[in-house]
Amino acid sequence: MKSFVNKKIFIESNEYTYRVEHLTLEGTCSTDHGPRNVKIKNLLVDKYPVTNQQYSFFLKKTGYQPKDSQRFLEHKPNKKIFNLPVVFVSQNDAIAYAKWVGGRLPTDEEWQYIAAGPKYLDWPWGNKFNPSLCNHDGNKLESVNAYRKGESWCGCVDMSGNCWEWTAGIHDDGNHQFALLRGGSYFYAHDHWHVGGGARKNNYHWKLQILNEGMNRAATLGFRCVYDAK
Amino acid sequence: MMQNKFKDKKKFTDFSLGSLNLSLAVDKNIFLKELSFIKNINNELFSIRVENKLIPRNKYKIEKVFEKTDVNFTIISIDFSQNFGNDFFKGRISFVQKKKNITDFIFQLSARWHKDIPKKVLLKFPFLINIHKNKNFLKPGDIFDGKKRINKGVWNLHEYPPSIISDNLGNQCLGFEFYDQFPWQANYNLGISEAISNENFEKLETEVQLTRELTDIILMKIYTSSQGREKIFSLWKENTRERYDLRKYHDSKNRWIKKNYLQHFMFAYGEEAFDYKKMEFKIIQIIKEGKEFGGYDSILFWHQYPRLGLDESNQWQLYKYLPKNYETIKKIVDICHSHNIKFFIPFKPWDIRSNESLDSHAKSLERFIKATSIDGFFLDTMSSLPDSFLKIQKKFPSFEFCSEGTPREQRQIETLTSSWDQIGDIRRNFKVEINSNFFRFLFPEHPLNLVSRWSVGSDKDLLIKRAAFNGMGMVIWQDIFGCWLPFSIEQKKKIKSLKYILKKYHKIFFGDNSIPLIQTLSKKIICNEFSNSVSKQKIYSIYNFGSNKIKGRILKLPSAVKEFKQIYGKDVNIKIEKKQNIFYLLANLDVDDVILINIKFDI
Repeated sequence: MKSFVNKKIFIESNEYTYRVEHLTLEGTCSTDHGPRNVKIKNLLVDKYPVTNQQYSFFLKKTGYQPKDSQRFLEHKPNKKIFNLPVVFVSQNDAIAYAKWVGGRLPTDEEWQYIAAGPKYLDWPWGNKFNPSLCNHDGNKLESVNAYRKGESWCGCVDMSGNCWEWTAGIHDDGNHQFALLRGGSYFYAHDHWHVGGGARKNNYHWKLQILNEGMNRAATLGFRCVYDAK
Repeated sequence: MMQNKFKDKKKFTDFSLGSLNLSLAVDKNIFLKELSFIKNINNELFSIRVENKLIPRNKYKIEKVFEKTDVNFTIISIDFSQNFGNDFFKGRISFVQKKKNITDFIFQLSARWHKDIPKKVLLKFPFLINIHKNKNFLKPGDIFDGKKRINKGVWNLHEYPPSIISDNLGNQCLGFEFYDQFPWQANYNLGISEAISNENFEKLETEVQLTRELTDIILMKIYTSSQGREKIFSLWKENTRERYDLRKYHDSKNRWIKKNYLQHFMFAYGEEAFDYKKMEFKIIQIIKEGKEFGGYDSILFWHQYPRLGLDESNQWQLYKYLPKNYETIKKIVDICHSHNIKFFIPFKPWDIRSNESLDSHAKSLERFIKATSIDGFFLDTMSSLPDSFLKIQKKFPSFEFCSEGTPREQRQIETLTSSWDQIGDIRRNFKVEINSNFFRFLFPEHPLNLVSRWSVGSDKDLLIKRAAFNGMGMVIWQDIFGCWLPFSIEQKKKIKSLKYILKKYHKIFFGDNSIPLIQTLSKKIICNEFSNSVSKQKIYSIYNFGSNKIKGRILKLPSAVKEFKQIYGKDVNIKIEKKQNIFYLLANLDVDDVILINIKFDI
C-alpha cells in the first residue's frame, strides 16, 4: 500500500457561532449546545485522521504502553492496513500520540469549525448529504484518503463517516464522565436503540460515557490532531 | 334449577337461572324487560342494519324456544329468523349456566345472501347501552366518587375485568365480561371489552361478517353477586385463572423471585456504580447505600445500552471489555451473593444480528451463567419469555427471568414469572397516579416491581405511595442512562418501611384472595384488600384521593375484629367502632394519604 503524508492545514483564527445537535436516546448530554459564540485560535490540523502507519511509527519510536491495554490496537495494525485510520485507541492513547507529535486533540468546538467552516456547512463538502463522498454504511474501514472529494472547506478529508473521532477533554457533570465523539463511522447498526452510526453531520456529536479503557476503545473510533499555531 | 313461567310460548317469558333472573318479551323481536334487580329495561337485545337499512323491529319470526336443565347446566335458547329484501337471516339467543353465579349470554347470527353476495351488516345492542347509561353502572376499574364514575383501576393484559352494575345499596351486583381473544377474531365480541370503557359506547355499532352457518357474535359472561362488587371480582378472577397453568410459580426452586421486593438498577457509567480513579465498580458501596432503602434483593447490571452500536461488538462481547473480562462480573456476583442479593444481567433482543438466533443467545447465556453464577436475565423491551431461554431453566432450575413489560397473554403469564410494572412517559407530562393494578390482584403470585424512570420530586412520592397501595416492590433506579435522579432521604425511608412490611406480611400481601377496589364508606377513598384463604388476617391499603381531609368511618369490616394496627403511612389515628354488631374502621386521613392497616379477625 502506498503511503502518503498526512500534511497539516492552517486554520486562521476566527469567531463563529457554535450550535450542535445530538441524539442522546435516553439521558442527556450536559454540555452547552449553543448557539453561542466561540473563538477559534490559529490552528494547524491534520488533513486526515491519524493512520495505522503513523500510530505504529509512534509506538516504535516511543515504546508507548498504555496502563490498561485491554483491546488496545485489537485490529493489529500491519502494512496492509497502514492507510486506514488507527482505531481501538482510547482518548488517553490518542492524547499520548498527539503530545508526541506536538499537538493535541481538537476541542468539540474546533472540530466543528474545521468541518463546517465560516459558511456553517452541514456536511464537510456542502449542505447536501452525498453518501458517495464518505464511508457511510460501508462494511469496513477504508483508507483515510479514499474520499478526497468529500474534503471540508479547509481541505480536511474523512471528517464524516469512516471512523468516529475523539475530541479533547473529559466532561464531568458531577455524576458522570463522558467524552464527545464526532463524524460518525462506516458502521451503521440496524436498530434505533443502537448508537446512531453512519456518516454524521458537521453539527452532530455523540456522548461516549467513559468506563474502563477496554470499553473506551472501539473498532470505529480514531482521532486526528490539531496544533496550536501563531 | 330453571324456573320459567310462559304466559305465551312465543310472547313472554320469565326465566330464573340460579341467581340470575331475567324477563324477556318474545314477540316479533326479543326484548329484555328485566335482568335480576334491573327493572324496566324494555330494550331490544339487538338491532341489525344491512347496508344502512335498519331491519324493522317487528319483522322477526320466533322459530323456537328451547330449554333444558340437567345436572350439568341450564340452557334457554330462542331461535329467530328474518327475511329482509332478498336476504334471509337466522339467529339464536342463548343463556347457558354451567357454573353457579356465571351465565353465558350467547348471540349467534347467520345470513343467506341474495346471489351469495355478502352485504355490510352492523349490529347494535340497545340493552347494553341502556345498562351502560344506568347511574349504578361501573366500567371496569371504575368507582363512584359521589358525583360521577372515575377510573381507579388499570390493567394491561388480554383479560378484561367485568363492568359492574349494582343496586342502590351496592349489594346486588351483576358483572358483564366480554372475553376477547388475541389476536382478535372476526365476529367475536367485537371489541366490546374495550368499547364499554369508552364514553362513546352508546354510539357503538359493530360490523360482522355473516355466513350461512350460525356464528358466535357475542359471548358475554354475566356474573351475579348478592355480596357486593368484590364478589364479582372474585368470580371473574376464579373463572379466569381456571384456564391458566400456574405450576411454574409454585416451583420451590424459584421462590426467591417472589421476594425480590427491591431491584437496584446499576447503571455502570456513573459515580453511583463506578470508581473512575480505581477503575472498578463500587459494588460494596452500592450494597451499603441500598440499606437506606431497606436493602436490595437483587441488582440489575447495565452497561450495554447506550453503548451498543458504536461498533460491531454484540451484547456478550461488551462483557469481555470490562476489566478482567468476565471476572469483573463474577467478582460482583460473588459479593452480591455473600450479601444475599441476586444478580441480573439484561438481554437486548433488538441487538440480535442477522447471523445470530435466540438459540445462540441461549447458549451464550448458559456459558455466562457457568462463568459468573448470575441468577437472572432481564428481558429488555420484552414481555414474553422465548422458548430458547425457557430451556435454560431446565439446566439451571433456580435461574429466573424478569421482563421490562408485564406479560399480557396467557402463555407469557404462565412462563414468565416476574416483571416490571413500568409506568411513565417523559414526552407526555406524565403524572404518577395512585390506582389499582388489576394484574397484580389477578395473579398475585407474579411479582411486579414498580418503576417510573423519569419521575422526580412529588411524582417519586406518588410512586412510592402507588407501590404501597398495590402492595408491590419497586425498582430503585436513580441513574437513568446518565441522568442522576436520586430518591431523597425521606423517600428512602418510606421505601424502607414498605419493604419491611412486604417482607413481614408477605403471605397476606401476596395471598390468593386479594381484591382491588373494595367498597368503602367514603366517596373519596379507594381501598385494596389483601388476604389469603387460610389466615384470619387482612391488610387494607387505603388512599384519600379527594381534596379534603376525611375523618370518621372508612370501611365496614366483614366480621368481629380481634386486633388492628396501622403498619404503613403517617399515623392517622385508626379506631374500630362496633355498632349494632357491625365493625367499622375509622381514621383521620389527610389529602393524598396512603395508609396500610393490618386487622386480625375473630373468624
